[in-house]
Amino acid sequence: MLAFTWPEFFQQITSGLASGAIYASLALALVLIYRATDVINFAQGEMATFTTYIAWMLMQHGLPYWPAFVLTLVIAFAGGFAIERVVIRPVENRPEIVIVIVTIGMLIAINGLTGWIWGSEVKAFDSPFPNRTVDVAGVAISLQDVGTFCVCLATVLVLWLFFRFTTLGLAMRAAAVNPGASRLLGVRVGWMLAIGWGLAAALGAVAGMMAAPTTFLDPNMMLVILIYAFAAAVLGGIDSPVGAVVGGLTLGVLVNLLGRYVAFVGEELRLPTALAILLTVLVIRPQGLFGHAVVRRV
Amino acid sequence: MIARAALIALRLLPVAVTVVLVVLIGQRAGEFRLDEFTYVAIYFAALLGLNMLTGYNGQISLGHGAFMCIGAYVAAVAVLGRPGLALYGHHPPDWLPVGDGMRPVFTIPLAFVLTGAVGFLFGIPALRLAGVSLALATFAMAVSLPAIAKKFENVTGGGGGVNLPLPHTPFGWDISTKRWLYYEAWGVAAVLFVLSWLLVRGRVGRAWRAIRDREVAATASGVSPAVYKTLAFAVSSAFAGAAGALLAIQVSYVNPDTFPISLSVLLLASVVIGGLGSLSGALFGALLYEFLPIYAQEPPLVHFAFGKQAPAVVFGVLLILIMYALPGGFAGAIRRMFAPLTRFLRERQNTREPILEPARRGEA
Amino acid sequence: MKKTLAVMACCVGAAIATLSSASAAREGAGSAAATPGVTKSSIVIGGTFPLSGPVSGYAPIARGMEAYFNYVNNRKGPDGKTGIRGRKIVWKYYDDAYNPANTVQLTNKLVLEDKVFAIVGTLGTEDNQAIRPFLNERKIPQLFVSTGASYWGLQYKQFPWTIGWQPDYIAEGRAYGQWIAKNSPNAKIAVFYQNDDYGKDYLRGVKIGLGAKKSLIVSELSYEVTDTSYASQIARQKASGADTWVLLTTAGTPTVRAIATAKALNWKPNTLVINSVAATDAVMAAVVDRVGADFVSGAISSAYLKNVSNPKYANDPAVKQYRALLAKYGPSGADSNNGFYYYGVAKAYDTAKVLFNAGKNPTRASLMRAALNMNWTNPYAIKGVKDKTTRSDHFPLSQIKLARYTNGTFTEFGPLIKGR
Repeated sequence: MLAFTWPEFFQQITSGLASGAIYASLALALVLIYRATDVINFAQGEMATFTTYIAWMLMQHGLPYWPAFVLTLVIAFAGGFAIERVVIRPVENRPEIVIVIVTIGMLIAINGLTGWIWGSEVKAFDSPFPNRTVDVAGVAISLQDVGTFCVCLATVLVLWLFFRFTTLGLAMRAAAVNPGASRLLGVRVGWMLAIGWGLAAALGAVAGMMAAPTTFLDPNMMLVILIYAFAAAVLGGIDSPVGAVVGGLTLGVLVNLLGRYVAFVGEELRLPTALAILLTVLVIRPQGLFGHAVVRRV
Repeated sequence: MIARAALIALRLLPVAVTVVLVVLIGQRAGEFRLDEFTYVAIYFAALLGLNMLTGYNGQISLGHGAFMCIGAYVAAVAVLGRPGLALYGHHPPDWLPVGDGMRPVFTIPLAFVLTGAVGFLFGIPALRLAGVSLALATFAMAVSLPAIAKKFENVTGGGGGVNLPLPHTPFGWDISTKRWLYYEAWGVAAVLFVLSWLLVRGRVGRAWRAIRDREVAATASGVSPAVYKTLAFAVSSAFAGAAGALLAIQVSYVNPDTFPISLSVLLLASVVIGGLGSLSGALFGALLYEFLPIYAQEPPLVHFAFGKQAPAVVFGVLLILIMYALPGGFAGAIRRMFAPLTRFLRERQNTREPILEPARRGEA
Repeated sequence: MKKTLAVMACCVGAAIATLSSASAAREGAGSAAATPGVTKSSIVIGGTFPLSGPVSGYAPIARGMEAYFNYVNNRKGPDGKTGIRGRKIVWKYYDDAYNPANTVQLTNKLVLEDKVFAIVGTLGTEDNQAIRPFLNERKIPQLFVSTGASYWGLQYKQFPWTIGWQPDYIAEGRAYGQWIAKNSPNAKIAVFYQNDDYGKDYLRGVKIGLGAKKSLIVSELSYEVTDTSYASQIARQKASGADTWVLLTTAGTPTVRAIATAKALNWKPNTLVINSVAATDAVMAAVVDRVGADFVSGAISSAYLKNVSNPKYANDPAVKQYRALLAKYGPSGADSNNGFYYYGVAKAYDTAKVLFNAGKNPTRASLMRAALNMNWTNPYAIKGVKDKTTRSDHFPLSQIKLARYTNGTFTEFGPLIKGR
């Protein structure tokens, strides 16, 4: 087919990083909830989609981008907080699998709700970044992608600072690691969980708003991205934010390179092959790239 | 003595009731009810398998639809054979033992064995994985298999899929096709039920549960997690394979869209809602899987909230509500309902059951 | 474990027993009626559609049909009676989420429980393929399927109870191929198609249309519905040096995403061709919002129905009547510019007409005869397009016109192109 050229090779990598950044953002949200509650929130993607629609609606009502952005984060946080208190709380002490099923129920319900409220017609979503593309030695780099990438990195940094240097962050970590002891020390564990869900929802909103300018707004925009995010989070080590980002970016690039340069894989088997490679990594290193090995108690 | 007999009766009663109901429906129901309950049997078979893996052995599978997919394709390809596939312009490679077509009912054991083998092979690397990693591994199966089926279209029929010949009652029996399909599915389900009952009540089941509850302790007492975990994978995939074959025969069409990710996800939800670690739970799960999505689209359920605009909303919300209302699933709820009676009978019997099960989280 | 076999099914038991005996009884009573689904006061018809899931964008088709049938039930027909010769149309549709296994089960429900007279408009190539043998074996009409695969019309000898509706994909693709061959004989063509029978049918048509100029295609790459980004493929198409881009995608996301990706990669092909299913004004508006009008202006597509959102048709009586009936009988808040409602209404028009033509005491056979004896103009179709079928022509609509995207809307141009 087409001959190998370096510019195209780097083009494949930059494009991979751009989509990888989106996977990474949603993976971060998954990691956050996993750290707090030990479950994968399957509704994460749908929550993100729902909040992105809210942002869209705010902008339709004439709000400029950034105020709408911030307001959406606030709404998302409140929504995530409320979901933990109202929907998850009743099953909090039940086995993880029960919580997982509840999040699956939410996935189905929120997806239906989004379609019901806003219809399934595809909508354009504004981007805060210039809609331009610069050409660097034959590689087209869109400023939208650069912006998304930076936002993704900035989020990790902010999260890291938050968990590292704030009392609230410390309390949240404590509540996740050892709820019993934290309670004795006066940490309101329930609230910490809810804040964790709120933060994750806000992160998801960021992911949604970053993704929407390129994927466009559609009730199902996050269904598949969630699969990538899930894979990225586990690859990185499910409890590691840095791992989630590295995992997301790796997956984005891997999928592109496999599809382009391995003839047998082609466009059709990109995802299965990437997943197979990822599983091989996991078999060798079950805790993921950056995760902590779990010590088994007898 | 009487108490002991009553206890045994109480335990056999549900099986007896189910058998009677199945036969009764088979005799009396109209075509459509037969059709519905045939699906119940198919999902029952799949959920029995999933329950052994997830309920009894504690390994979460988000990819059981993938094993049904394999079973269904085994059945479809075996039924069509080379001549059948040639009608669609597909020619499998010569080395593949595709055959020249066979009777649908004979493909079920074939699907059972082949899917079991795939599950066994998958189970070996999966041994290293637990928790979310295992969930992802199985999920990846579910995501990938339809794409793979699409790619190898000279065997599978690709994205366009293949129609199986419409089912007909074989061997010259004088019953309607729907009725035959119904008895065929329930026959298979019954065999699988007995098989799983034999497995979970014996040594294997004890080992599975021991590994689920205390893996390290189980290892210390000489149970090999590797052997029993892979066995669980193999057996549960074989069940799913048989269910997949039944599904292919029932639907008489397969293509990759027939096995979306949602199939796997909802199978897991059904087994949890039915009741983990309980064979009857699989039956409740199957009833739920079959009826909830359909009735979420129908009055009176739709009219109470969303109208026809959003069947998915009704379905999702119901799923959550059931999880709230029934800790331990349907099976757990019923067990609790009868708990006073069983306790009473046991006290009368004056012999304590040996306690095999350590306390299970979340179960009453 | 000993508890495992604990009591099950007791409560379900009684319920099911009553259910089964009830339905057996009903079956007995029902067999007296002459034609299933037809009573003195009603005709029951049904279909399945993706109301949820990844392709729920097509859901408005079912609701557009619903709106039209409601309208028919309330207006006086040619014989002065409401509905179809005094019978109300009962329109039952279920959500199959685009999964053929669900389609089969729900069609069974429609046939065996709801006792429909005919299956109408079921959406999806594979979904219809899955139910076709069953419906034909039972001699139940499978009318006006919502898919443009060519075999609905071609395989009528094998499946006489099945009939398509819209112009088929191969014919449409062929029109694009011919147009490119004629207008830019030195083009370097890149084709981007959805990897399924739908996309491949279109691709086949394009190649047939190009004929000897098939070698103009320098790149043909596909995408999967599960792809989240097309950047990899489109970067390759850019690198191939193509100047003409043929998009054979599905409505909504894939189309807008592909174009936005090309823009982000700084690739601007001179000529853009987009298949009709994908190219609606709403989809293009979303594109223009993100990438600007210059990228897509002049894009070529095709049409067989009037473009509702084209100002040219603002005063068209059929379009006005469509808007009024959708507002009155459609779901609340329905956007009448969404072409899928319009498509549904146009299809329902033909459905109502063949139901009427099936006669005073319609049977499934008389319905099929009526469906194979169509010869009229659907007011919702563009001028000159005929609804025509014969015993050997199972393609009700088979003419199209090419359309060009200018000033925010697709306008048809050139002569009618015969698809058959």
